[in-house]
Amino acid sequence: MELFLPIAHMDVNIVLILLYGCLVGFLSGLIGVGGGFLITPLLIFTGIPPIVAVSSGAAQMAGTAAGASYLHWRQGNIDVKMGLVLLTGSWLGAGSGVYLANMLLRAGQFGNVVIFLYAILLGFVGISMLIESLPAVLRAGAPAASPARAAAASKSWLRIWVERLPWQMAFPVSETRMSALGPLALGAAVGVLTSLMGVGGGFIMVPVMIYVLKMPIKIVVGTSLFQLLFTTAAVSVMQAGVNHAVDPVLALLLILGSVFGTRFGARLALRLPAEKLRLIFALVVVAVAIRMVVTLLVAPGDVYSMTIELR
Amino acid sequence: MTRRRRMIFILLLVCAGLWQRPSWAGEVLQFRLEPARVEISAAFAGAQVTATGSMSEPGDLVLKVAGPLQDVSLTRKTRLGPFWVAGETVKVRGAASLLFLYATAPVATLLSAAEQQKYGLPLEGAALRIEPQAQAPDDWRGAFFRLREQAGYYREHPGALKLRENGQFSAHILLPGDLETGTYTVETLIVNSGKVVGQAHGEFKVQVVGIEYWIWNAVHDTPWPFGILFTLAAMLLGVVLSAISYRPR
Repeated sequence: MELFLPIAHMDVNIVLILLYGCLVGFLSGLIGVGGGFLITPLLIFTGIPPIVAVSSGAAQMAGTAAGASYLHWRQGNIDVKMGLVLLTGSWLGAGSGVYLANMLLRAGQFGNVVIFLYAILLGFVGISMLIESLPAVLRAGAPAASPARAAAASKSWLRIWVERLPWQMAFPVSETRMSALGPLALGAAVGVLTSLMGVGGGFIMVPVMIYVLKMPIKIVVGTSLFQLLFTTAAVSVMQAGVNHAVDPVLALLLILGSVFGTRFGARLALRLPAEKLRLIFALVVVAVAIRMVVTLLVAPGDVYSMTIELR
Repeated sequence: MTRRRRMIFILLLVCAGLWQRPSWAGEVLQFRLEPARVEISAAFAGAQVTATGSMSEPGDLVLKVAGPLQDVSLTRKTRLGPFWVAGETVKVRGAASLLFLYATAPVATLLSAAEQQKYGLPLEGAALRIEPQAQAPDDWRGAFFRLREQAGYYREHPGALKLRENGQFSAHILLPGDLETGTYTVETLIVNSGKVVGQAHGEFKVQVVGIEYWIWNAVHDTPWPFGILFTLAAMLLGVVLSAISYRPR
């Protein structure tokens, strides 16, 4: 069943787009990522122009994150105070990232920087989490303290450093106390990535919140989505305003699919133990990273490629 | 009927015949396109425009369909150590978004290269500009036409134009689902002994209609209000759908 997309100016299979939305929504609900790192390549692979894929993906992520945030809010999984500190940082970072993107565009290196950033960051985050979570899942039968607590017991040098910084602040929902500079810096880093890569940054934010800020994983998922909601909404508005690239039909189809996916993801997240959630997250991230590395290493069938410019 | 009345009646018939005589009646080639307007709506997945007509001169026929001009970016991947990365990018401006050639026989067998060039028939001879000036423009031109042909937008259909004994002909122009909007020109040529002996021009329009047209205008004419309202609507939709599906445990 085909449907014409007025801004992408092409027809797409409705069922396929709904399935993409469902898959991304499932991951959102399950592990608290927006899925931008997944949806953008999928849409481009379908033939949708990259700028429309990135922009409509941002609109979809805003819709999905709003729905998922609502579910997590009902379940008490959002640390609003932490979310607002992260958001402040991410908006500052996004502002700087726009200038950085402009410099890279002028140098003609934007595309290459983006693809290497994807491969390096996804690979690093995914493999780190895989190394950490796989033994934990294999040990799952043995009686032990909760994984979040166990992880909190071993403090990384980064966490110790964050604890010593000024502007100490209590985050009761996350049951932690730390310098506001830690989440502020994390938000800023994610903001830069949002500008450069067109992603919400959940795949960076979630592991840093778990391993460096030592927050409970269920609060991490809800808070990450809450922060993501505002970041992606801002990107969606700016992409529509500046590039006229948000395709509302495409975004609506993705949202419809993702809301149902989110529902199942969020339910499964409540049932699954934290270490299994981390393992699923790690496997998804590593799979995307491998796909990107393969794209970089395999010689293309045709070294030339064509993109139709939007009017 | 008296002889005088009969004469008046015959005169009236002749006048009526002259009155109804079409403007192209004296031309060696005439054709029409049906439909004259292709409408793109939600269910659009391609269309067919039929060219029907007749020719009074003997010969072969060539029909060239050209879409509105379009700008594209061409990127060439290059090797950086073990990696294949995006290298040089150029803009290709002023090229037709679609070029179809229909003919009663392969065009190369009907016309010399010079004649083909004169009438803009070779697909790979179409006019275009490459910006900025590339070092090896022929490579970029070659890549452009190759990618266009692979995507099905530049294509020759030899033998697809059917010519009947009485000089009438028809061709079915099959348009893909991803069409540029605007005016499509159709040039028809009669070819005899390697020369073009008759020529006619027609056109049809492709335009977005209905809600798709309204969306396109909203996105391009009021981008910021559209962006804000649509993003808010998307967020609201997400919350409402989640609230409907949420069941407290």
